[in-house]
Amino acid sequence: MNAQLSQAAIKVTNLVKRRETKLLKSFLAISGINLEIAEGVTYGLIGPNGAGKTTTIKLLLGLLKPDGGEIKVLGKPAGEHEALRRIGFLPESPYFYSHLTGREYLTFTGQLFGMQGPALQNRIGELLHLVSMENKAEERTGTYSKGMLQRLGMAAALVNDPDLLFLDEPMSGLDPLGRMDMRKIIIALKEKGKTIFFNSHLLPDVAHLCDKVGVLSQGKLTAEDDLLSITPERNATVLEEYFLSHIEA
Amino acid sequence: MEHCAESQGQKVTAKKAGLLLPVFAIASNTFKEVSRDKVVYTFFVFAVIISFFGLALGSLSVGQDLRIILDLGMFGISTIGGIIAVFAGANLVYKELEKKTCYLIFTKPVRPWQFILGKYLGLALCLLVLIAAMAVFLTLTVYIADPGQLLVFKERVLFIGASLLLTYLELLLIIAAAEFFSTFSSPIMSVVFTIAFWFIGHSTASLQDLSKLFTNSALQQLANFLYWTLPDLKTLTQTRSAIMYGQFPNSELSIYLTAYLVSYVIILLVLSAMVSEKRELP
Repeated sequence: MNAQLSQAAIKVTNLVKRRETKLLKSFLAISGINLEIAEGVTYGLIGPNGAGKTTTIKLLLGLLKPDGGEIKVLGKPAGEHEALRRIGFLPESPYFYSHLTGREYLTFTGQLFGMQGPALQNRIGELLHLVSMENKAEERTGTYSKGMLQRLGMAAALVNDPDLLFLDEPMSGLDPLGRMDMRKIIIALKEKGKTIFFNSHLLPDVAHLCDKVGVLSQGKLTAEDDLLSITPERNATVLEEYFLSHIEA
Repeated sequence: MEHCAESQGQKVTAKKAGLLLPVFAIASNTFKEVSRDKVVYTFFVFAVIISFFGLALGSLSVGQDLRIILDLGMFGISTIGGIIAVFAGANLVYKELEKKTCYLIFTKPVRPWQFILGKYLGLALCLLVLIAAMAVFLTLTVYIADPGQLLVFKERVLFIGASLLLTYLELLLIIAAAEFFSTFSSPIMSVVFTIAFWFIGHSTASLQDLSKLFTNSALQQLANFLYWTLPDLKTLTQTRSAIMYGQFPNSELSIYLTAYLVSYVIILLVLSAMVSEKRELP
């Protein structure tokens, strides 16, 4: 177990990514990031809007190609299928096919991983129970509230029982009860030894859940520390001060 | 040794199934998406109305009723099928990018060719079901107009079926073209490109005639190049009309037409997959 923990689930070296604005002006979205996240760690990437958090996740998932540097996810280059099989992803404002029911959506997601038959249906049953969506499973996702979509998105991210989970603003759109449920799910995943990488604006959630945090500001990783070294009491106010002191004006 | 070969064979089969499962999943999702769209049903009802309108119009003519029913019915089916192929095809890839549902797909072990093929097969299957349903109504109107002898009616059904099969083959090409254009352009532009492709397809024979008129050899070669590169749908239309009125083409022409269209579809799908492979998601 210890040997496994010492392996890097994510290793990023000198990552650079240029992006274009709607007016086709190029800017440096990610500028020389270095990251190393060990297996089993819950890592919180925090930063103001437009800092490059979502771009970082897209690069780690292979949705975007880097302009410089190297990315290794689960020992493989980003986007490689062998790694993607072991990854779960919950995007910010999950994107759904409104013509599908919740169950059909999860079935579709499972089939993309090559899962099928009773094994997939059993897994879907477990996940619907986990996110408390059993009674809405036969309704089309087009009729779901934002919170329900977020729960279904979480179930979809877990369909392949991933070793590494990317969560982009997982608490977004959830009411306090929904946030509490989502926290419980993340804690349960942590206890199972999953590696979790998540972006969030909500510092109380980061303080509560993360082992390590990084501050991203204007595409640069300006600080990175173990959470308990910042605030042993997991105090959100202390984390907020830490965050504010490391963002570039 | 035999056991080893058998297990190797099983592994290859399992690998092939693993490659095809995401294709079927995407195809099934696309089929559901298109078939659950109310617009498709509206078009279907419209096609049925055209068929019955043919019946009413046919009854007003003397001796030409069956021809009017068949002409109008075939026109309805190919036009409605074409509209759905162009508009749904032009949105096939773009909609996934716009709604960002492509993030769901490309963060899974799915290759661009599996995505392109799955989307294509889903829409192709949907059109097949739609055309089959419209064909049932056309056959019904033909039967109402002239029940005649069972043998003659069976023969007519065969002609309608064979003719619609060629219509479907043409629509398969249109979907592939629309999907190809939708990999790099907006839906409006894809629709324009696809309609232009379709229109040119019905006029390529003129290019060959045109090449004979040029005295400049470069222009001659250009016209010939365009003739051989762009699809020739005129022969298909002529064959389809001939079948409709009881003249089956020889087997050589049937094989040629099928192989020609299938090859074109494969080339367009390969090009679509290549563009998708290179394209970075928004």
